[in-house]
Amino acid sequence: MKSAYSLWVMEFAAVPNYPQSGLIYGMHNQGTRKLPYCYIVIKGQGTIAMVDVGYNHKAHGEVLANTFGVKGWRPPREVLGEIGIAPQDIGHIFITHAHFDHMGNIEDFPSATFYLQERELSKWVWTMSLERRFRWLMLGIDTADILRAVDLARQGRLVSVQGDRDNVLPGVDLHAAFDTHTWGSMYVTVRNDLAKNPEASWVFCGDLAYGYENLRGHDPGDPEYIPVGLATGSQFNLVMTSEQMVQSVGGDVHRVIPPHEERLKDLYPSRITKLGLRITELALADGEKSQVR
Amino acid sequence: MTDDATATYILENQRCFEDLKQVASQLAGLLVLAAAGSNEAVPDHPALLRARRLFREANDAFQSARPTSRARKHHDHVAQAAAMIGEALDQTHGRFDVDRILIPLRAGYAELERAADALPGFEKVSYAQACCGAQVL
Repeated sequence: MKSAYSLWVMEFAAVPNYPQSGLIYGMHNQGTRKLPYCYIVIKGQGTIAMVDVGYNHKAHGEVLANTFGVKGWRPPREVLGEIGIAPQDIGHIFITHAHFDHMGNIEDFPSATFYLQERELSKWVWTMSLERRFRWLMLGIDTADILRAVDLARQGRLVSVQGDRDNVLPGVDLHAAFDTHTWGSMYVTVRNDLAKNPEASWVFCGDLAYGYENLRGHDPGDPEYIPVGLATGSQFNLVMTSEQMVQSVGGDVHRVIPPHEERLKDLYPSRITKLGLRITELALADGEKSQVR
Repeated sequence: MTDDATATYILENQRCFEDLKQVASQLAGLLVLAAAGSNEAVPDHPALLRARRLFREANDAFQSARPTSRARKHHDHVAQAAAMIGEALDQTHGRFDVDRILIPLRAGYAELERAADALPGFEKVSYAQACCGAQVL
């Protein structure tokens, strides 16, 4: 089966010991696990795209390191440099949601057009018109990111997506997941044969799942959906979105890629770079050289 | 080490700082909608009405603040922020011109960031709901 795109999961920082309870609903007092921070690179068909861009280290790095134990952050030019790509080579970036740790590094990608659900913006604005007692609904948003988004829009580099959009690039579809982790979250599907074959498809889910327990439960022999703990929308919508994502890849949960899932390295070819960060190679486009072997 | 008087200043002025940040966020959100061509960005949007009210409250609270010498730098940055954000708000009456609002707004928010860096206790962003936010060391 031909592959239209090469797909890599690029680690740019990590929390070595993260409580399981923060990732899987109800897993209190169950110890910790490594939580990698990653973005996705999609290369092929004459372009390079990404899913999410990580956070702005200049603005948040010290707090995240000292307060939350985030280690080893490296800038995109070093992380992407490991696979021979420069940030200015990136043409399209799909932002799964507007939290600072997913869209905070806009300014490092000067040539890219950014895609974000309009609902993600409009509902944040609506939320901001509420009284102070509703401020929990606004957590995770950095005003500086919104100001950068204004600049993107003025430069014609912000595409305000309304719902699902097929073939935003050939074989790449955007799917709205409204009222889930955030108001206007979305996930990205890559149909790597450019057709509709679920077995050649991949789903990049942002924070709609942190790990495989969210998509199959604790017993793979008796799977169930267990939502992430953090939802501005609802756990119900997260569960139903999990079903949509898993069905879109023919029921193979391992083709749904949670960027925070450390066990991707056990499922797909990977290597640790000289920076101490992981690269996981999900697919290689026809003629593309492996970056992990 | 923060002395008692400065700690008191911090506690008494966190709300004012938060409110100014909120006003900046409200304006920035409307600007991005306007710049993206959304029909929702209108001069009588509820977020803008609330921003004007919140700004008046924050400004009044700020006028009564009494900074210690340790807090002076922070206080000066907040003063600059309030002036610039107020100017941005003044530009929202009538026609919604993104450029005229954005310039003072960006300057005002930069002053808020400097204010946060100048004294502990003032967060640029709340980390509690992002995926890193469940763990506090």
